[in-house]
Amino acid sequence: MKLDVVHDLQTVYRKLVDATSRPGKVMDLQKEVEVLDVQTNCLSATILFALTVLDPEVTFKVITKQEEAVSRMINQLTYSKSVDVSDADFIFILEDALHEEMEDAMNQAKVGSLSNPHESAMIILEVSDVTKGKPVKLSGPGIQGETDLNMQNVSNWMEMRNEKNVEFPLGIDMYFVDHQHQLLAIPRTTQIKENGWEIKWDM
Amino acid sequence: MNKSYNFAFFDEGSKREIRRATLKAIAIPGYQVPFASREMPIGRGWGTGGLQLTLSLIGKEDVLKVIDQGSDESVNAVNIKKLVSDTTGVRTTDSTREATLIQSRHRVPEVPLEQDQILILQVPLPEPLRSFEPSEHETKKLHAEREYSGAWLMLFEQIMKYKTMATDADHPVMVHDRYVMAPSPIPRFDNPKLDYSEALILLGAGREKKVYAVPPFTKVTSLAFDDYEFEIESFTNHECILCGSKDVFLDELVDQDTGATYFQCNDTSNCLDIVNQEQSLGVK
Repeated sequence: MKLDVVHDLQTVYRKLVDATSRPGKVMDLQKEVEVLDVQTNCLSATILFALTVLDPEVTFKVITKQEEAVSRMINQLTYSKSVDVSDADFIFILEDALHEEMEDAMNQAKVGSLSNPHESAMIILEVSDVTKGKPVKLSGPGIQGETDLNMQNVSNWMEMRNEKNVEFPLGIDMYFVDHQHQLLAIPRTTQIKENGWEIKWDM
Repeated sequence: MNKSYNFAFFDEGSKREIRRATLKAIAIPGYQVPFASREMPIGRGWGTGGLQLTLSLIGKEDVLKVIDQGSDESVNAVNIKKLVSDTTGVRTTDSTREATLIQSRHRVPEVPLEQDQILILQVPLPEPLRSFEPSEHETKKLHAEREYSGAWLMLFEQIMKYKTMATDADHPVMVHDRYVMAPSPIPRFDNPKLDYSEALILLGAGREKKVYAVPPFTKVTSLAFDDYEFEIESFTNHECILCGSKDVFLDELVDQDTGATYFQCNDTSNCLDIVNQEQSLGVK
């Protein structure tokens, strides 16, 4: 079987739409991964994400120890160009990225301007399992009341995310992918409560 | 299905461009994201925004419903349905419950929408501030600064002139307490259906090259004043001449022969469902 760039990427996109409109909902990309015939140094779900949204009109940056290899592969697959992290439309942070590198990338990620908040970065974070980790509560648009979720390494990115998203509508939208080919989204509107204390988010 | 076209008419690059804009639109509820708006085989202003969203979303498993002012069978709806099914081969339906994608011109269906459905609204004028500010540069600045006194003043002037808010359709709404948004020219009757909707609502304006969204379970309030509350169209003492429904949006029609007015459901498929149900139960 070979990945069908029309139909298989359409189902990936619909899962992205569903994930973005219902933050915290875990989507399964197993079916699409099975037909993906690309050998990679990153997760298959990451490649599917890249194939769905990247092309020469947008730019990306990969944060990993094997940046050159992964960037070259994404460029060959999508013709999208790798640029400085502060200019990138999509930032892929792979599992082997050091904590400081991730922090640095998130710190520099663009958040858009008040006139053009859509000119912000989407961050795709690879984790080992999107459903395991610290319990958190999510609320905001797309969520009926509150939803419970377990998230990995929350402390690694939480503070940075809050800093970036302090002035809505400016901010970054985060997507999490894992080894089980699962995907979930935390767009900028989502509020995250950790261990009972609320993370302040100003409008 | 016409195989000489790419699936869903568009080339993949065009789809990707709309898809990126749509994801951003969902992440920023009510904010109008600019997009390229490709040339379509129907005229701009005839539902190309909605059509482009539909084509970027649709897959082989989808079931499509298209309505125009509540009707499944009017010209605009039929043409769009034909174009989409010719280039994708997907099944079309009149039933709101059965559809996974519902493209609509100026109505939200009467049957409540569910989680696995997406409502796509065609938008002629996406900018709610346009009536008093002709410059796009300026309206973008007003949205950026959340400076909406113009929108309030517009309603205030209507109250001064007519003693009521005179917006009959496209009554502006506030989304997620941040953006004032044009809900497309749906009647005020439909505005409350946007508030904490179960389904994702996408809005596309082809001529004006904007897409925006109301994610599910998002606060949508119609602009109003404390002493002049938002009111939906009232059909008290009227019912549909065909199915007898009272709590739906009704069209007022004139009998050509007698000159008398009567009321009829605007949402034709819902009306037909009710009539069929009553008949199978032997009520009529």
